[in-house]
Amino acid sequence: MVNLTIDDKQVTVPRTATIYEAAKLNGINIPILCHDKKLKPFGACRMCLVEVEQMKGRQIPACTTPVTEGMIIRTSTPDIIKARKMVLELLLLNHPLDCPVCDKSGDCDLQNLTYEYQVNSNRFTDEKFHHEIDYNNPLIERDMNRCVLCGKCARVCDEIVSYGALTFIDRGIETKIGCEFDDALNCEFCGSCIAVCPVGSLLARPFKHKARWWAMTKQKSVCGYCGTGCNLTLGVKDNKVLTTIYDEDQGFHKGQLCVRGRFGYQFINSDKRLTKPLVKKNGVLTESTWDEALEIVAGRLKVGSSVAALATPRLTNEELSLFRTMLLENVGTKNFDHAAGYAHSALTEGFAGSFGATASSANILDIQKSDFLLVIKTDAYETHPVVGFEVNMAVKNKGVRLSILSDKRGKLSKLPDAKTLVHMPGSEVAVLNAIAKIIIDEKLVDASAASIAGYAEFEKALSAFSAEAIAAQVGIVASDIKKLASEYAAAEKALIIFPTGQAYTGHNADLANAVANLAILTGKYGKEGCGVLCLSEKNNSQGAVDMGFYAQDGGLNSLQILDACAAGTVKTLFIAGENPLVSYPDRNRVKAALDAVEFLIVSELFLTETAATADVVLPVCSYAEKDGTFTSTDRRVQYIKPAIRKNVQIKTDFEIFSDLISRLGGQAPLRPAAQFEKIASNTPGYFGMSHITLQKDGAFAPVKITPAFVTPHALATVAPETGKLALVTGSALYHSGSLSQYGEGPMHVCPEGYIELSRSDASANKIAENDMITVSSATGSMQLKAKVSLRMPAGVVFAPYHFSTAPINTIWSGAPVTMVTLVK
Amino acid sequence: MNPITPIINGMKITLKHMFMKPVTLQYPDERPKVAERFRGLHALKVSHSKAKCVACYLCPTVCPAKCITVEAGEDANHDKYATVYEIDMLRCIFCGYCVEACPVDALKMTGEFELANYSRQDFIYSKERLLEKQ
Repeated sequence: MVNLTIDDKQVTVPRTATIYEAAKLNGINIPILCHDKKLKPFGACRMCLVEVEQMKGRQIPACTTPVTEGMIIRTSTPDIIKARKMVLELLLLNHPLDCPVCDKSGDCDLQNLTYEYQVNSNRFTDEKFHHEIDYNNPLIERDMNRCVLCGKCARVCDEIVSYGALTFIDRGIETKIGCEFDDALNCEFCGSCIAVCPVGSLLARPFKHKARWWAMTKQKSVCGYCGTGCNLTLGVKDNKVLTTIYDEDQGFHKGQLCVRGRFGYQFINSDKRLTKPLVKKNGVLTESTWDEALEIVAGRLKVGSSVAALATPRLTNEELSLFRTMLLENVGTKNFDHAAGYAHSALTEGFAGSFGATASSANILDIQKSDFLLVIKTDAYETHPVVGFEVNMAVKNKGVRLSILSDKRGKLSKLPDAKTLVHMPGSEVAVLNAIAKIIIDEKLVDASAASIAGYAEFEKALSAFSAEAIAAQVGIVASDIKKLASEYAAAEKALIIFPTGQAYTGHNADLANAVANLAILTGKYGKEGCGVLCLSEKNNSQGAVDMGFYAQDGGLNSLQILDACAAGTVKTLFIAGENPLVSYPDRNRVKAALDAVEFLIVSELFLTETAATADVVLPVCSYAEKDGTFTSTDRRVQYIKPAIRKNVQIKTDFEIFSDLISRLGGQAPLRPAAQFEKIASNTPGYFGMSHITLQKDGAFAPVKITPAFVTPHALATVAPETGKLALVTGSALYHSGSLSQYGEGPMHVCPEGYIELSRSDASANKIAENDMITVSSATGSMQLKAKVSLRMPAGVVFAPYHFSTAPINTIWSGAPVTMVTLVK
Repeated sequence: MNPITPIINGMKITLKHMFMKPVTLQYPDERPKVAERFRGLHALKVSHSKAKCVACYLCPTVCPAKCITVEAGEDANHDKYATVYEIDMLRCIFCGYCVEACPVDALKMTGEFELANYSRQDFIYSKERLLEKQ
């Protein structure tokens, strides 16, 4: 700590602080345009000039000067104010001063400072800029005439997003922010540049001219897409969510968002939302009343044992737990599940066996505290972009080493010194087991490991996984596996990250056990910066597991439920928010089940493909219209309150389940808060939580680990077939599940399904970018647009699963790897 | 007092007024002369055959009666303009703050004071009705 004096106030601040940070920590405001909490000091704007007595009254920038012991700083002497006014005059000299038509007005740092320092006239004259304004980009509008060259956009894109789309181009008076060769912007569209821009140079095009900043109420919420659990501030006006607002103090990610979080909010106020219950009459879904619809549903649920249910892990903890209670106690069925039954198996079977807990042993904050990261599949960036930002920052700022084990290269492979081992698709578990064997063989095992349950069997079973044999099988060099093993074992702190999801069938219990075995073997768990982090797909996937909403005690899992529907043993199916026709594997199997089931109830926001086949459709609320809690992938329980009032015609899932419980003769809690009290009392880790205590930042539900080795079993490998390519499914960066299709932002930049293939496969099959090609597998064939990329290895193709218009499950029946042929 | 005196006095005043200029107006046959700075019905100024308004939302922001509704849009040249500009004359208190707030001098208040109407809906002046008559 360092002692210094700022404006006659004695303060003590950390040694690493700059003068700006020291002042801010002590409530002294220094005006600045080019500073952001997350970014490195830059010193571009010269607004933060201060005087330091020891520096003989020279004016120095506060944001780049580190504090030293005994500094005497003055932040607002008449000379400094004069200098700041001059800086503002010079900035305003070329600024177009079009505040009335600029959407930044009201939230503009330049405008606020001009007002604060009363810069009413300008002593200088110069011509304004005439840069061309980029109106063509669907998400990010760039008007460089307003730019003050603070460089925040270029820095956030480089330091955090690690994309580097924007940079300073040209020199001297001509300097501006632009893309390479002053070309169009074609990036990840996370909008971080918009968020940090202090003026109106970078604006969100979907929000263009929608509202003034001061006319919106700012509602804090939690993002409803992936499991990262990012915090959002929604800009609400006239009961409509119009935009997301940046708040650098919000959440572990400090306001940083991805394209879905920032631009995918439009589904909340979509015109396509269902507003009335629909009941099938004479084969047609017709509008009905809640009383009629719920009476019919309750009548069907009374049957009991032939009822099954699927729920989306986008529901709140309260809703999932109430739904479970209703099914178990009031309906009398154990047949309920979520996420296609396998997307949660890494937690419910994998970690349950390895750690004795259905949760990850590490959290997202461990990423930057670690020394060594092992990421399984580069897709971790696509499924959880904000976790990806944490990896970027860990590697670039903290010097954390990164190794990736993947079936394709990707964004993370481009990070400095990242080592990517590209193996044949579907063989990650074998490689991980080979790593475990090397660790044992080379005696890198942690002292604690031998005494842990199952060690002997584990060691014995590993004999089948010699590095040489596995290397030959999966197409990597044995020495690379050995190097990875010794690096992992040698690192003081090491963290393994892998994504899960409905498109990642291979990321199952086996994979979870394999990574957990590694962590237990080397003692890298239960400590800061160590452990295993399973990135669960949806915003409340971890919550759904914690609430016990999955097949247990002999209940049928999702896919078994579908088979039972087809077989006629399940007669009534209640689907709360899932869209299995698009997101579950094997469309024919799902379709047969939904056609065969006697009675289908769907509660949904939209009339999805699944809802269209239902007998009763119940319109429900999005996350912005209800209150409850979500549990993020690292088990942070966060409270959400309604950002907007819901349409009086629709109900929350919670209200529907409560209503049904009372119709079925039970006693339901009236409010989610009451249900959460129950959850807190009987869910491990949730003790002592309540809606009130969670309101500010949420809280981590601690995970109690009892390690055990799970013996690996021999794995079937997919043999390459000549003339066929290996199709792997996954998530596209711009989408999450099938919900993001209703968010306009993601659909602007990624509107349709595609198949990504390597250059060599493209040239061998004479396929060019954007060609429509017919992809055929054993189960079917479909047309997909070709995308030729550098990241795919030869013989492997990738397709995302989100799209109703191109449902990949017509050719994918749930195998981690599907052999396909491509015909132009 | 002679009981007839008050009557004569009264008649005198009456007779005097018969030859004086009347103070009332024979409205609607006669029209008042409206002062230059009278604050009557609003008008949106027109320049280059379109409204000058750039939909900056300062008038609805400053309006104490909350009677102005503006919605902005983007025209073919990417310029901001008001797709909706409505003033609810039943709520308007004719304070003129909107005119004062306007950064582009797009709004004025005219001498128009005959604002009576038959239905409440008719008091909501849309952009078309507010456009300055050329």
